[in-house]
Amino acid sequence: MSGMDKRDYPEPGAESIARPASAGGAGATCAGGSAAQGSHAYDLDNCIKCTICLAHCPVSRVTDKFAGPKQNGPDLERFRLLEPAAVHPSIVYCTGCRTCEVVCPSGVPVAAMNSRAKAQYVARYGAPLRDRLLATPDVAGRLATLAPGLINRLGRSNWLRAAGEKLAGVSAALPLPRYADRSFPVLYRMWRRERQGAGVNSRSSHGVTGGEKVLYYPGCYVNYNQPQIGLAVLDVLVASGVEARVEEFPCCGLPAISAGLYDAARHKGEETLRLLKPYLEEGYRVVTTCPSCLFTLSQKYGELLGLDLAGRPEQITDIFTYLLELKEQGRFSLNPAPLPLRLAYHQPCHQRAMGCGSPSLDVLALIPELQVVDLAAGCCGLAGTYGFKREKYPVSRAIGENVRQAMEQLALSEAVTECGMCALQIGHLTGARVYHPVELLSRAFAQAGQKG
Amino acid sequence: MNSKKTDIMVIGLGLAGMVAAARAAELGKKVVLVGKGAGSLTLSSGGIDLWGYSLEQPEKPALSPRHEISRLVERNKDHPYAKAADVLEDSLAFFQAVCRSAGLPYLSNGLGNWLVPTALGTLRPTCLVPESMAVPDLQQVARILLVGFAELKDFYPAVLAVNLQKCGCLPSGCRLDIADVRMSGREMNAVTLAGRLEQLGVLEEVVAQIRPHLTPGTLVLVPPVLGRARHRQVRENLAALLGCPAYEVAGLPPALPGLRLSDALLTHLKRNGVTVLSGSTVHSVRLDEQRRRCLAVQLAGPGGRLEVQAAAYVLASGSFLGGGLKAGPGLVQETIFGLPVQFDPDGWACEEFLDRRGHAFNSFGLRVNENLQPVDGEGRVCLENVLAAGAILGGSNWPVEKCGNGVALTSGYKAGQLAAGGV
Ligand SMILES: Cc1cc2nc3c(=O)[nH]c(=O)nc-3n(C[C@H](O)[C@H](O)[C@H](O)COP(=O)(O)OP(=O)(O)OC[C@H]3O[C@@H](n4cnc5c(N)ncnc54)[C@H](O)[C@@H]3O)c2cc1C
Ligand code: SF4
Ligand code: SF4
Ligand code: SF4
Repeated sequence: MSGMDKRDYPEPGAESIARPASAGGAGATCAGGSAAQGSHAYDLDNCIKCTICLAHCPVSRVTDKFAGPKQNGPDLERFRLLEPAAVHPSIVYCTGCRTCEVVCPSGVPVAAMNSRAKAQYVARYGAPLRDRLLATPDVAGRLATLAPGLINRLGRSNWLRAAGEKLAGVSAALPLPRYADRSFPVLYRMWRRERQGAGVNSRSSHGVTGGEKVLYYPGCYVNYNQPQIGLAVLDVLVASGVEARVEEFPCCGLPAISAGLYDAARHKGEETLRLLKPYLEEGYRVVTTCPSCLFTLSQKYGELLGLDLAGRPEQITDIFTYLLELKEQGRFSLNPAPLPLRLAYHQPCHQRAMGCGSPSLDVLALIPELQVVDLAAGCCGLAGTYGFKREKYPVSRAIGENVRQAMEQLALSEAVTECGMCALQIGHLTGARVYHPVELLSRAFAQAGQKG
Repeated sequence: MNSKKTDIMVIGLGLAGMVAAARAAELGKKVVLVGKGAGSLTLSSGGIDLWGYSLEQPEKPALSPRHEISRLVERNKDHPYAKAADVLEDSLAFFQAVCRSAGLPYLSNGLGNWLVPTALGTLRPTCLVPESMAVPDLQQVARILLVGFAELKDFYPAVLAVNLQKCGCLPSGCRLDIADVRMSGREMNAVTLAGRLEQLGVLEEVVAQIRPHLTPGTLVLVPPVLGRARHRQVRENLAALLGCPAYEVAGLPPALPGLRLSDALLTHLKRNGVTVLSGSTVHSVRLDEQRRRCLAVQLAGPGGRLEVQAAAYVLASGSFLGGGLKAGPGLVQETIFGLPVQFDPDGWACEEFLDRRGHAFNSFGLRVNENLQPVDGEGRVCLENVLAAGAILGGSNWPVEKCGNGVALTSGYKAGQLAAGGV
């Protein structure tokens, strides 16, 4: 095979072309069990050293501290065949945005190589306490929701932030995400009680409507910071005749993966799967609102952590793909009301990395009078916890400059994006109000409901 | 599997696919554009080559590429230009309009070619260049200052100087000098350096080192690193600080001008409603029972699978580098539809690496009719609603003919237009 396939996809043009005898490489390394071991030994030979990955890497664009995707990835991977510790220390500057992998014309899993290299580096040299703390947003979130008012006030205290920067290396320049007064699981229970009290569709508390079982997977950001997004999801689904179930999950593990802490990530992943598997086995559809969570569950678990999700591929999907399916089946029960707004759309890197574009744009297009302009300005630079690290904040900010300028050029003051952390960064860089697409949808539905 | 319906599906994120998508979108069609990776535009010098050398004297740069092409299509009916040159002027005008509105104007040199100096000190004939490469006629200059950066790998002004002097294109008495700029000391690639130069403070420090070498009337040549997204400001600031413009030479990959063009086109497409699916591979296709039409293509990316159903398909998947073609012992295949490929099993390459005739494998590819529909050996249309464009077309040897982006642009434009008109 030409080595063109990122993973074990069927051969292109399978109908008419027999797989040439020279096939090998990529397919073999990524299939099944061997993916768990995560060897990219053969994939590295697919690299033709074209530098396309380097040319597109947002970090390489703004700093000379990073050796770049090609050098850190396939170039050093050759040495890692013999010496696993052959990792350039600059690897910690990789944000894990996956741009390199999206643009590589030869199907080299550059970002996965880099992620694994970072994990090797961290396993050998350790990670600062700060990185370990930032890697567990669920623990922080659970603690914070005990006294969110206090935590939020402390988070905005200048001297505390200055101390945090000095002592722990957490940048004081970037506002910390605010914690919600009540976590999503708490609000969800209230929401359900209200509906049951009102005698609405009692059967639906099992998440079963019209034979379809749906589970909503919120992710940490919705759970602890922006629970109104989760409530909007429930409302939008109800408006479409679907009542979803909600389960309390730990963090998916992405922040730990990003910090190179694979053991911690695997631990989160195993816990998540223990909770998720019964649903998958029962045939539930699992819908998400965080592209990074979705990407982690559907891709990184298998590729990086050797965890097996064992669902049908379409069983876990983002809410918008699911809504578009409902629409295909004629199950949108309300016509959204017009929303006369003009907004910028920012595509999160992990949304792009999934290779299916932005289904949210197709859903937002159903709202009359809503104008959504694709910023097309690339990575926002925050990359989850990356931008909070003192030494990375300037890198993060410089990357986001394209987003800031695009907003300015297009004269837009409000934005919409699927990822909570991107929203935080866009707000920080531009002062814009940033929505999750599902919030707009729920607003349009609510207004239509009032009229109807 | 999730599915999506659209008017036109374009396969390939290279120049051909992007132009096809842009043209179809301009004609009001709903377009989905997919690519498993970036196209070779991001490797190219950024110039749009139409035709580089004289047909009779292949060592002589073509003075009028249009004239050469009109004669070429008379004698070589298999060349992609023979199928698409009817829209040549329209496609160039369209491209220039898109680039202008994207803030990256592409300039023509009258009806002729530009002769752009390369990093190796040769002169490259090319038809359209971004403003940053629109270098004035070298015959008219009295002194050239070559700016080098100590930290930049792969760019050696001394080599450029020696070869430029040798090429016989400078007026006698023309002086060549070198200004070596030193920055942070750490090694940098072109992309990082370009990002650095977007900071005004950095640019000022650079200029402070160049200025002592400057005399009135000097032509300043720099490596292609004058910014990425903010290239316009960088160039304007540099000209203001120097008191004269500086021009980028054609460089080795990663070269910023090609990247800027690729960025600008992609942004144009996204802002004009084209759905772009990057990082997704077309792995199989669904045909109707008679195998006359394509009903859908199936994509796979890390996020799962997707079926796209379209009325027409533009296949712009490139050649070997892009992944549209693949080679095995004694065979060449088209990777998506399994379309017949025109190739010579006995003549893949010349013995000399830099043979003027060019290596035959570069001209392997699909045969198409006037409507850009791929045809078999007997000239029969393979799939009615599939059109091909760009480097996947056989019959041209772009590295020696210097027509890579020209063919991609012209055939991409035509394919987008025909697909939008219904096939
Ligand atoms: C190093 C280099 C320098 C060059 N310099 C110049 C220059 O200065 N001037 C000039 O005019 N020309 C130059 N050329 C030639 C020119 O760049 C190309 O001929 C032209 O850009 C080809 O464009 P294309 O769109 O047809 O193909 P490509 O740019 O190769 O694009 C093919 C696209 O198809 C995608 N694809 C392939 N298979 C699949 C699949 N199964 N599923 C999804 N997507 C798929 C690829 O990922 C890619 O996005 C250069 C070429 C190279 C390699
Ligand atoms: S883009 Fe892919 S093939 Fe090119 S240098 Fe990077 S990893 Fe190698
Ligand atoms: S994942 Fe992103 S930051 Fe890391 S090397 Fe790839 S492109 Fe660069
Ligand atoms: S990826 Fe999702 S679950 Fe994981 S930390 Fe981010 S929001 Fe939380």
